[in-house]
Amino acid sequence: MLMNAAQMHIKYKLILPLVFLLFGIMLYPLFFSLWLSLQDYRLTRINDVQFVGLENFGLIATDPSFLNAMGNTISFVVGAVILELILGLSLALLIQKLVIFRGAIRSILLAPMFITPIAVGLMFRFLLNSEIGIIPFYLLKVGISLDWFGPGLALFSIVLIDVWQWTPFMLLMFLAGLEALPKTPFEAARVDGAGRWLTFSSITLPLLRPVIVVALIIRALDAFKVFEYVFAITRGGPGNSTETIMYYIYQTGFRFFRMGEAAAASILLIIFILIFVILIVNLSRPKVIK
Amino acid sequence: MIISFENQLSRFLGTIAIFTAIIVVLFPFFWIFLESLKPPSLGGRPDVWFFEPTWENWSEIVLNSGVPLNILNSFFIALITVVISLICGAPAAYAFSRFRGFHGARYSILAAEMMPPAILILPLFLLLYKLELIDSRIGVIIAHLTFVVPVITWFLIGFFDEVPKDLEDQAMIDGYTRFQAFYKVILPIVRPGLGAAAVFGFVLSWNDLFYSLLLTGAESRTLPVAIASFWTFRGIELGKMAVAILIAVIPVLILSYSIQKHLIRGIGGSGVKY
Repeated sequence: MLMNAAQMHIKYKLILPLVFLLFGIMLYPLFFSLWLSLQDYRLTRINDVQFVGLENFGLIATDPSFLNAMGNTISFVVGAVILELILGLSLALLIQKLVIFRGAIRSILLAPMFITPIAVGLMFRFLLNSEIGIIPFYLLKVGISLDWFGPGLALFSIVLIDVWQWTPFMLLMFLAGLEALPKTPFEAARVDGAGRWLTFSSITLPLLRPVIVVALIIRALDAFKVFEYVFAITRGGPGNSTETIMYYIYQTGFRFFRMGEAAAASILLIIFILIFVILIVNLSRPKVIK
Repeated sequence: MIISFENQLSRFLGTIAIFTAIIVVLFPFFWIFLESLKPPSLGGRPDVWFFEPTWENWSEIVLNSGVPLNILNSFFIALITVVISLICGAPAAYAFSRFRGFHGARYSILAAEMMPPAILILPLFLLLYKLELIDSRIGVIIAHLTFVVPVITWFLIGFFDEVPKDLEDQAMIDGYTRFQAFYKVILPIVRPGLGAAAVFGFVLSWNDLFYSLLLTGAESRTLPVAIASFWTFRGIELGKMAVAILIAVIPVLILSYSIQKHLIRGIGGSGVKY
């Protein structure tokens, strides 16, 4: 069935520019990536590209540094997102209780999420540096000696930096969620004499569940992409204790020039993320009560 | 009393918690600002709080470094990216909001938004390399479009959803075509949404390091890449690093403050129903 441009329904005309653009800049690169993952493609030997089938996937899946990077990323995502969830929810509840300065305090606490992540990374690298950083300097005065970016603590420090920057996102979501809650259940609970904790756990939390799930998914997917803090601070070290999956792909593709393997790694990452999202969505679906 | 708990102890603890949060957020900026005013001889001294402030680092960066060019690049790239995203995204978002049969399309926009840059950077790099567009602003704009277009489109769907359908029905009864109704009636109504989406897209592009790092060179280098080059941490450079960080941070803070109240609707899209 052929249609000429004049007959085409207006709704298709409206989306045409977007469709063209997304085909060019996303779908085509995606397929290019798939093709790339099946080739032995090295930037150093760009004229000698060979089809190797699934070999790259085998290489990547058995590469200890890939598995290590995946493990680091998962620890990072889980740690950061859980901390951000708890802190964000607590702060949202506190801000809701504020009598004065609520708008101003909210604006201040939301600020970090808009800042250039590389600037945040360098800022904290400077603040936490064991020789010139102000935080270790004063911690030492009270007798606490921590090497924030040393072995053992580095990944945790990067989690904390992520928490500093992205708790505001959770806060933003939960503030909106709390504001939109219906009033009646709370009044009923007060009439029945329910305590603060009971009201929170049996009314607020269940009603907030959809917002919590959406915030969790958005934040977790974003956290999988963590790159700037690692690039700004540790470059994967000490050892490879902070090498995340994005940093691994960056290294493989653009430091070792193995584009085929990097493409395979990025496809494995997407598959992993998809499974993760499906799991979260299913786990968080409320049980049907008959 | 700034917090409304009945219990005196919880009131006290709540107040402390809020103050702690404010200090945790503000202190890094404060310290970076102090560092930017320190003379180079005092750079990186955690024990120095009081000193003769100097604008030496600021003038060095503004008059005597590549940073102004980086700012221009970042600004230009973000601006063009946003304009293209609005031109392609706004009509599509309107169609997604108004016509049936686009349920799947909505979610593919969300999927595109979530796409990890790792999978797109490899083909984009190779393509731009073949087209000899590495170290060009066009190359970075193309890369930034991959995440700004979906975000802006998703953002706008939420805003169009809130405009009552009667408005364009009335306009079409008055003799407008569907497109005229969209262009002359609906677009002006969602202008705050367009503005918020544009600002948000601008901030995302302005903040990007990953693509810019790999696709730019001396000519097209953006501000985040320039900031990343202060990595070496030589004592003398610290003040300049502080200045560069502040220059990158201040504009986005001001911009995003202006769109705070629109953000929720944008990020949640119409997918989030509270």
